[in-house]
Amino acid sequence: MAGTRRKLALIAIAAIFVTLLSQNTLAYYSLIGKATNVVTSGDIQLVIHEYTADGSPFPEEGVYIIPGDIVGKTVVIENVCGHPFYLRVRLVNGIDSQELSAEEVFRVNLNESAWTSREDGCIYYNEILQPGESTPPVFTQVEIVGDKVDQNYIGKTLTLTVTAQAVQSEHNPAQHPWEAAGWPALDGEVTG
Amino acid sequence: MRRLYSLLGAVLAVLLLITPVFAQGQVIYDGNAGSFVFEPGSDYSPTDLFTGFKDVMPGDQLEQTVLLRNDADNEVKIKVYLRSLGAQPDSVEFLSQLRLSVEEAEETVLFDAAADQSAQLTDWVYLGTLYSGGELELILRLDVPVTLDNQFKNLVGYLDWEFMIEEYPVEDTDPEPPDTGDESGLMAYGLTFCLSGILLLFLLMPRRKQEHNT
Repeated sequence: MAGTRRKLALIAIAAIFVTLLSQNTLAYYSLIGKATNVVTSGDIQLVIHEYTADGSPFPEEGVYIIPGDIVGKTVVIENVCGHPFYLRVRLVNGIDSQELSAEEVFRVNLNESAWTSREDGCIYYNEILQPGESTPPVFTQVEIVGDKVDQNYIGKTLTLTVTAQAVQSEHNPAQHPWEAAGWPALDGEVTG
Repeated sequence: MRRLYSLLGAVLAVLLLITPVFAQGQVIYDGNAGSFVFEPGSDYSPTDLFTGFKDVMPGDQLEQTVLLRNDADNEVKIKVYLRSLGAQPDSVEFLSQLRLSVEEAEETVLFDAAADQSAQLTDWVYLGTLYSGGELELILRLDVPVTLDNQFKNLVGYLDWEFMIEEYPVEDTDPEPPDTGDESGLMAYGLTFCLSGILLLFLLMPRRKQEHNT
């Protein structure tokens, strides 16, 4: 009986040693850490600048005109984001009268060396506008067409609104800007 | 004097070249502190590893790496695991538009799905065993569809990942721990210092001799 006990004790001691040794292969401890990763999407942004002939900002309240006047008004557009883009503008005439038409009351001296007028009614900038850069002027003068503005227009307010749209040029190759993909609908414009 | 400035400029340039740059995301297990260090972080999240996925635009195909490193001492090795918890609820719509893939050393694709999903990383995935100083690199690719709509501009998407380590003692049968690289940086600085000193002495010696002669 005593011999059996001794054998059991030896087996137990051996088992303890085996257990201790095998514990070496167990992990000391584990640790979990969380990383919150972030993806952000970009955007393209532009600003329309309007100046008078002397380079000062064009007055928001407008100017008084008479038929045949030529008003100095320079319009340039600046890329104020980190991405290059194609650019187009539209000129929209308006008048505060239901009876009178504002069509063809203004004539601008379009800068055709840098801009191309298309049949869709838009004027496209011929180049890609790089971040931080501004376009050459779209035009520098607005003529009030005498043939179109008669006595009936006295006291009315005529408006010439410049709107602009841009579409990214990265991953969007095009031989001409009007052939670029992704031009937004004509109501999604920046107005100047 | 001009030569001395040129020499100092050259030494500075060399030092700048051997200074480590942390352009990639890094997950460092610091055994002593018993914690992870996530670098570099961003303005959006201090544990942000997606250094290269900012200001993304339609059509972008971006790639970056995330480096995992064991900075614990030589007595332990770690098994590293990764799982994704997916996009945070308010980021799902945006991130579901993007496709993300994660590869380990360009061999094993660990994840390839819409970026909001946890997909193949829903459960813990074993990445490897790292000895002290050991490193492991993950390659991340993000595809932004060229058709991504305007409604997704100027958005921020949050994607949570968890890293887990299990620490084990190094056994006699384990391979020799790899070089941690810590000494190599010191050696490079030391070598640069010695070479610069020798060069400086060499440049100054003839000048002294000339002065002595005159």
